[in-house]
Amino acid sequence: MRFTKTILPITLCILLASLAVPAQKKGRAAKPRKPVAVVSPIDTEALKVLLTQQREGPLLVNFWATFCDPCRDEFPDLVKIDKDYRPRSLEFVTVSLDDMTDIKTSVPLFLDSMKATMPAYLLNASDPEPAINLVDSRWQGDLPATFLYNEKGEVVYKHIGRVNTAELRAAIEKVVSKKGDGQ
Amino acid sequence: MKSRNLSILLASLFVIANAVFAVGARAAGEVPPPAAIGSTIEDFTLPDADNKDHSLKSLAGKNGTVLLFISVQCPVSNAYNERMAKLAEDYKAKGIAIIGINSNVAEDAAAIKAHAAEHKLAFPILKDSGNKIADKLGASVTPEAYFIDVNNKLLYHGRIDNARNPAQLETSDLRNALDAALGGKTIDKAEAKAFGCTIKRA
Repeated sequence: MRFTKTILPITLCILLASLAVPAQKKGRAAKPRKPVAVVSPIDTEALKVLLTQQREGPLLVNFWATFCDPCRDEFPDLVKIDKDYRPRSLEFVTVSLDDMTDIKTSVPLFLDSMKATMPAYLLNASDPEPAINLVDSRWQGDLPATFLYNEKGEVVYKHIGRVNTAELRAAIEKVVSKKGDGQ
Repeated sequence: MKSRNLSILLASLFVIANAVFAVGARAAGEVPPPAAIGSTIEDFTLPDADNKDHSLKSLAGKNGTVLLFISVQCPVSNAYNERMAKLAEDYKAKGIAIIGINSNVAEDAAAIKAHAAEHKLAFPILKDSGNKIADKLGASVTPEAYFIDVNNKLLYHGRIDNARNPAQLETSDLRNALDAALGGKTIDKAEAKAFGCTIKRA
């Protein structure tokens, strides 16, 4: 009697609750993911300012796109480079050449999946040619493309295509050590 | 006998050294420089998606030919499918032939055929296995166009137009070049950087 009045309802409640939890989880998973990473639009003029302005340390810029396989392949290495060298005054920004319609969807979702926290831009230009010429007149616009600038804004390393991590790290070491941080 | 063995050994070493160098050169990911405007593109032969060989000469238009490096998977190239189909249709009547070339290592003949049917690409598409023609012309991305005259002289190299998104179209560089050549005028802009997906080389 006591079992039917007290223990049975409690048992049923626990059972129902345990069934409800996976149902809720399923419901959450069905919602589209909202990206955490923020990607800012950058036009050709603003890119020019970013590349040529006076800065305290070196600047690494990676041009990429979500549709570019070698870009996606090299991204984990770039995230590691950012983690390792940001404390040593390396400024690292990424510039996506995806379509503007991807700025709140596939681009930040990819950055989230990579746990990338460096400032992220997306080129907002109907014609990418002036921006490509601004960066390097000999660059054809093929991706990925990685450029390292010293504090004077001079290109000290560039690589078109999937980057050689050891080579890039060696180039960064040269410019960060010039700062005399002794690390 | 000894000298014969030595010759074989030296020849073998030469072959091995060449193979190692070739792999090294590819690993560096270097694309040969693009063919210069005014240079002559040699005739070549490539198979279509049905494995039927075609020479450039056999497909050339009477007023010129556009070699268009395209892809099955690249979203930039795919954004141009309709524009490429229209381009081929518009200029066929004017005697300019469009020839698609697929040099991507991972895109086989079956995929090219299915893609062309799905997107109504009515121009011939050739499979450039081993990216030999992409290397010869220095093509690096898709889509990327090379316009040659009846004597195979390169008149224009680069993009189809300025915008992946047709709503942002401002300059139709390739059409401008074709129209200028058809009208016997000088092409104002003979080179415009092609933007797209890197050709996946073998």
